[in-house]
Amino acid sequence: MSPAELSQPIEQGKSETPSSTRSLESRLKRKTSGDRLFLRCVIVIFIAAVVWAWRHIDMSFSGLIAGVGDVRNLLGRMLPPRFSDLDDAIRLGFETLWMAVIGTTIAVVLSFPIALGAARNTTPHPVVMAVCRGIIVLSRAVPDLIFAAIFVRAIGIGVLPGVIALGLHSIGMIGKLFADAIEQTDKSPREAVTSVGASKWQAITTSVIPQAMPSFISTILYRLDINLRSSSVLGIVGAGGIGFLLQANLRSLQYDEALGVVTVVFVLITVMEFFSAAIRATLLGGDRTLVGRSTPRASLGSKLFSRLSTRGSESATSSQRFNRDTVRPPWIGELRMKTIYGVALFILIVVAFRSVSLNPGELLGAFPDVWKVITRMFPPDFTTARQPIIDGIIESVAAALVATFMGALISIPLGLMAARNVAFNKFVYLLSRLFLLFVRGIPELIIAVIFIAAIGLGPVPGTLALAFGTSGFLAKLVADAVEEINPTPREAVFAVGATRNQEIATSVVPQAIPAIVSNLLYALDINLRTSTILGIVGGGGIGFILFNALRVLKLQTVGAVLITIFVVVYAIELLSGWIRKKIL
Amino acid sequence: MAMTLPDNVVQVTELSKKFPNGPLALDRVSLEVPKGQLLSLIGLSGSGKSTLLRHLNGLIQPTSGTVNVLDTNVVAAGRRELRALRREVGFVFQAFGLVGRLTALENVLSGSLGRLNGPRFGTLMYPKTLRREALENLDRVGLGDQVFQRSDTLSGGQQQRVAIARTLMQRPSLLLADEPVASLDPESAAQVMDVLFRIVVEDQLTVICTLHQVELALGWAQRIVGLRDGQVVLDRAVDNLDQEAVMDVYRRVEPGQKVSEGQDLTGSPSTRVS
Repeated sequence: MSPAELSQPIEQGKSETPSSTRSLESRLKRKTSGDRLFLRCVIVIFIAAVVWAWRHIDMSFSGLIAGVGDVRNLLGRMLPPRFSDLDDAIRLGFETLWMAVIGTTIAVVLSFPIALGAARNTTPHPVVMAVCRGIIVLSRAVPDLIFAAIFVRAIGIGVLPGVIALGLHSIGMIGKLFADAIEQTDKSPREAVTSVGASKWQAITTSVIPQAMPSFISTILYRLDINLRSSSVLGIVGAGGIGFLLQANLRSLQYDEALGVVTVVFVLITVMEFFSAAIRATLLGGDRTLVGRSTPRASLGSKLFSRLSTRGSESATSSQRFNRDTVRPPWIGELRMKTIYGVALFILIVVAFRSVSLNPGELLGAFPDVWKVITRMFPPDFTTARQPIIDGIIESVAAALVATFMGALISIPLGLMAARNVAFNKFVYLLSRLFLLFVRGIPELIIAVIFIAAIGLGPVPGTLALAFGTSGFLAKLVADAVEEINPTPREAVFAVGATRNQEIATSVVPQAIPAIVSNLLYALDINLRTSTILGIVGGGGIGFILFNALRVLKLQTVGAVLITIFVVVYAIELLSGWIRKKIL
Repeated sequence: MAMTLPDNVVQVTELSKKFPNGPLALDRVSLEVPKGQLLSLIGLSGSGKSTLLRHLNGLIQPTSGTVNVLDTNVVAAGRRELRALRREVGFVFQAFGLVGRLTALENVLSGSLGRLNGPRFGTLMYPKTLRREALENLDRVGLGDQVFQRSDTLSGGQQQRVAIARTLMQRPSLLLADEPVASLDPESAAQVMDVLFRIVVEDQLTVICTLHQVELALGWAQRIVGLRDGQVVLDRAVDNLDQEAVMDVYRRVEPGQKVSEGQDLTGSPSTRVS
């Protein structure tokens, strides 16, 4: 509704006094504030960039329609899925899971000291803080598939390079979130423990770490989910896991077999998400901000685990009997729950190492080789492949822009349909949620591999795959944001007799917009990271040059590509962070 | 004056503190506290009470001046000396300073960290003797039934009593309390002050306690020191003090008046009450 429309009925009412009408009209012309102008500029620039990017990667509507046809043809050849070597698929599926567990374990072990060094309140020295933050930023900017491709060259094909890649890349997220959690702890318990004469590290372990623990657990579970998705594609570069089988099936044109593998991946990821939601709900039950919204899956899961969780809450209030001589804490309730989970976790890690026949010594032994390869990348060689690097990174940025835009176009209406409080009816809601679950259960890179098989090499199939993945991921975030909005303004708008669509336009969308824009920028960040690796599977962009340079062991060129990726990814991250801060 | 008299537990001389980008939090404060005295610091929030208290165990370092506590020069003390001093000085905070996720017992046990080396995770990493001692201290503050309860499920008054039990693990000779009951309802506040007073008398502790509530201070302390804008504006024994004089500390007064009041104070520097 424009201001002019709004002013009309008021004008009629006050028609006898033209002077006041004038002032009313001028009052209704809102002065455009700086923030609004900024938001508009951002939108205009974003759309201009998308138009440029669309042309740059030769995307076209006719090509898009043809692409959809190609994908449909391929799907026709894929269906029904075949599971002729299901045993193999399941074995590799478990290997994928164990890789994710080991990779996350490595990351947690490495992240913990780094986070303590990076957090303002625990760092021993500003220089240490700068170094730790540098490590976090660096490891986050280099995608795990790139790490994996490099380490495969360094220590050979197998699970080992895969888990090290997962471990090193995950430091970026785990380290950052751990450090944030440490910085957010209440400082008064620490002051109290310091004043009894505790040393700095005693104070940190007694007062800071326990406070940050729930956040640590939440982060680890979240990262385990992400690492399972990653580890299912690492096989594409020979770094172990089920991705290898998928690649082999696609190469030999056994598309129905390939879909069988994808089905196994999907089941694995979905089951994992269910379990981590359930564990989160039981372990962090009281803390809503950490558990997240209680999804149907989470609540179903916590029912499964309820034997443990109810005992936990019951112990909190009653006074227990205990031996006054030994003063040992009674093994019930929360303590028992923690012990059971702790032991289970330990067993899980041991099983993981055994199943992929990896011993920790071997793991440590690989790090010198990894380090050697990293040092051989320096000094980076920008001159030999200067033009391809520039073209490649531009193509990657363009692909990310287009994919984010297309993803947003699909995901915003989809997200509204999947929000319980807005969906037209229960059927639409369930259907949308099911679709989201389905899309999110398949890693983007697997979708990219399938699209490339259907459409052919180049940035277009890569971009489409990215857009497809984005729509699922973004739609879930949009749906969650919409479900969180305050219902009071909605009632008010209904109360004046608005229709459903009017109500969504005037009360739901404006309330959800900051979250949507913020998530959009986040999606752009993530898409840029992913688009730099699309080239590895033939999806265009800078990944292709990286992979070629690796094949011929031109490590200094690899170094140059890595630095380019880092600079661009980090610059976009800073830019989107700045925009987010400005508009929220 | 630089020498510490043997019977003075605390000797502060010309102490000034300026925080970066902040006002002068303490302005040439001098204070002597003899052994066994119950002293109450009063004043508006921001008058420098908490800052003064935190200087006494080295949580804050001064801009100028000297601080001697229990024969330790707090300003010059190294990390090891400071730890040794802090072991002797109990501190009770307004915000309790408990780790909410840990049990009451574990929070109490953390009071013994100054006597131990290395970090501790969990109750069982503390020696059995310390666990028994912690249990006794919880009994002493009347929380023998809440030993293994998570601290954040306790009421405010109970939490502060856990904090007192934690301080007792230090077997302190000097107790500093920073607004120990300011975030409690009157009933819990009275209960906490009773527990504190009983322990102070039984263990013959020297106490410096900042308080908001003037009546509480008058009924409890032997000597009252008032701070305003970082300066000592009142220092008297409770015997020859009426409510009116104390309330003056909370009132804005003219600079000239402040000087005369200060002169009045220098006439009787440390009013000893035994």
